[in-house]
Amino acid sequence: MVGIGNPVRGDDSVGLVVARRVREAAGDGLVVEELWTGGLKLAEALVGFEAAVVVDATSTGGVAPGTVRLLEAGDYGSCLNLACLHDATLPDALCALKKLGAPLPSRVWVVGVEIELTDHLSEELTPAVSQAVCGAVEAVFSVLDRGE
Amino acid sequence: MARITIDPITRLEGHGRIEIFLDDAGEVENVFFQIPELRGFERFVVGRPAEDMPVITNRICGVCPEAHHMAATKALDDLFMVDPPAAAKKLRELFYNAFFVTDHTTHFYALGGPDFIVGPDAPPAKRNLIGVIEKVGLEVGGMVIACRKRNHEIIKMLGGRSIHPAAGLPGGWSKPMSEAERVEVEKASRENVEFALFSLKAFDDIVLKNDGFRELILGDVFHHRTYSMGTVDAQNRVNFYDGQIRVVDQGGAEVLKYPCRDYATHIAERVEPWTYLKFPYLKKIGWKGFVDGPESGVYAATPLTRLNVSASMATPLAQEHFERMYAIFGGGPVHHRLATHWARLIELLYAAERMLELSLDPEITSPEVRTIPSGEINPKGGIGSVEAPRGTLTHHYEANERGLVTRANLIVGTTNNYAPITMSIKRAAEKLIKGGKVVEEGILNRIEMAFRLYDPCFSCATHALDGRSGLKVVIRDASGGVVESFGG
Repeated sequence: MVGIGNPVRGDDSVGLVVARRVREAAGDGLVVEELWTGGLKLAEALVGFEAAVVVDATSTGGVAPGTVRLLEAGDYGSCLNLACLHDATLPDALCALKKLGAPLPSRVWVVGVEIELTDHLSEELTPAVSQAVCGAVEAVFSVLDRGE
Repeated sequence: MARITIDPITRLEGHGRIEIFLDDAGEVENVFFQIPELRGFERFVVGRPAEDMPVITNRICGVCPEAHHMAATKALDDLFMVDPPAAAKKLRELFYNAFFVTDHTTHFYALGGPDFIVGPDAPPAKRNLIGVIEKVGLEVGGMVIACRKRNHEIIKMLGGRSIHPAAGLPGGWSKPMSEAERVEVEKASRENVEFALFSLKAFDDIVLKNDGFRELILGDVFHHRTYSMGTVDAQNRVNFYDGQIRVVDQGGAEVLKYPCRDYATHIAERVEPWTYLKFPYLKKIGWKGFVDGPESGVYAATPLTRLNVSASMATPLAQEHFERMYAIFGGGPVHHRLATHWARLIELLYAAERMLELSLDPEITSPEVRTIPSGEINPKGGIGSVEAPRGTLTHHYEANERGLVTRANLIVGTTNNYAPITMSIKRAAEKLIKGGKVVEEGILNRIEMAFRLYDPCFSCATHALDGRSGLKVVIRDASGGVVESFGG
């Protein structure tokens, strides 16, 4: 499981917070990582695993902050850190690595937690997003258990 | 007034918004490039222990934490008035060059490269890393990933054993390098040199030998005559880790050379009402607007300008390529902005060679990697700068007698280039949109090429979206109504 986000941009760090909670609750057999960027670095982190869940902040502007959703590829554009603006989107990075023969998970799920964008720096989550962390953690385990 | 808007990513943080305004004759009248600012930084760090700054500021940007970490560490050397031992400086520089190798490699193959390797007129779905791999082949693609992997290992090994750099300390580095590690670094450095040479050859074969691309690079569309800035050593050779900041004019004559401590003496910031970010410019010359030429204090800080301020390169193979580039342009400085991609590859080679040199330095495994500070705080504050891949990066902190930050200022690499980027976009737009000529995909991509060559740290739009450019173009007539729109 990889939580991605920016640790000093407030709610943008929700993926990282979820990762920490997942790590506490997880048993052996689940590797949990925190990354500060997506794209190629994220795809490279998934190499060698059977399955992977990524958690990131989303900003669609269309749902309430704190909404937790399992995302389809079409929703990836609303993720804040999934694509790395200096190299590639996650699907492109995965596709590139796959072409090069890297062993990648058969499924990569992305769980998004909606936030409201802000320019201000902070290490705290806002209440709405903080309350969503539990739900996001549940979503991670649920997806991995289902294994679909 | 008709208006063309390039609004690539409306929801991802850190995106830039480009607005191109046409006049009634359909000619480009103005370009506005608005970006979100890193706001509240000072408020965020004030009151924190200054010693924490290397691991606080490294979180600002997930792509270049090493750059902030290093600038912060050097600012602490100054703040605590402590000089690291020679071995620590070498270790820091070695680590830092490993970072440069990964960053420049990734930029060329994943971001800037697609413009050339796949071609600016290719469909957006192909103008990305996958398109590059399809064009250059799986073997080369594998080399790119292998390069990233081996250098990430080195960064992790030297940077504190974590994904994010943490080994920088005031007065040195947290851990010396073992002989076993040195062997690994030496091996990786040699592979880096080979790969850099390969990449330069690929650039030569695919870009320079292609008439269309050659014309693009040597032509007028991406041409600007601003001042050039970069960090150089005592012999005026670029150094990413340390040196003095040198500025040369359009003809190559030195205008300024100063230690980073004096940055505020030489650089002023221009406020414009339509954006939060300020535009740095040379105080000595003055602000004349978003214009080229010796009368305008606008300067750029990029891989190209770093080479422009260098009399030579400090390593032999990079020097050969440096000479070749300037020979093709008929001497320096070079103002054709697309040559930045070429300069980036020459810097890649230099970084690789420098890593090898340092890995072979007998002092590199010395256990003496720390001078413990006395605890005294510099009343003038601490200022440190490095060359980030995207330009000169400066950190400035002031602290009280308890070592808590009281004031902080940051000038990130891309900030230096804010005015030049705006001007490059405008120049490209002026040359490619005329008499109300309807804008098409390829033309807009060329406008984006104008800012992607700077590898700006706030907006790199199109290649990053899932298979689509995400490019939205809206043309408006004088009353603001939509005449036509593309993409999105």
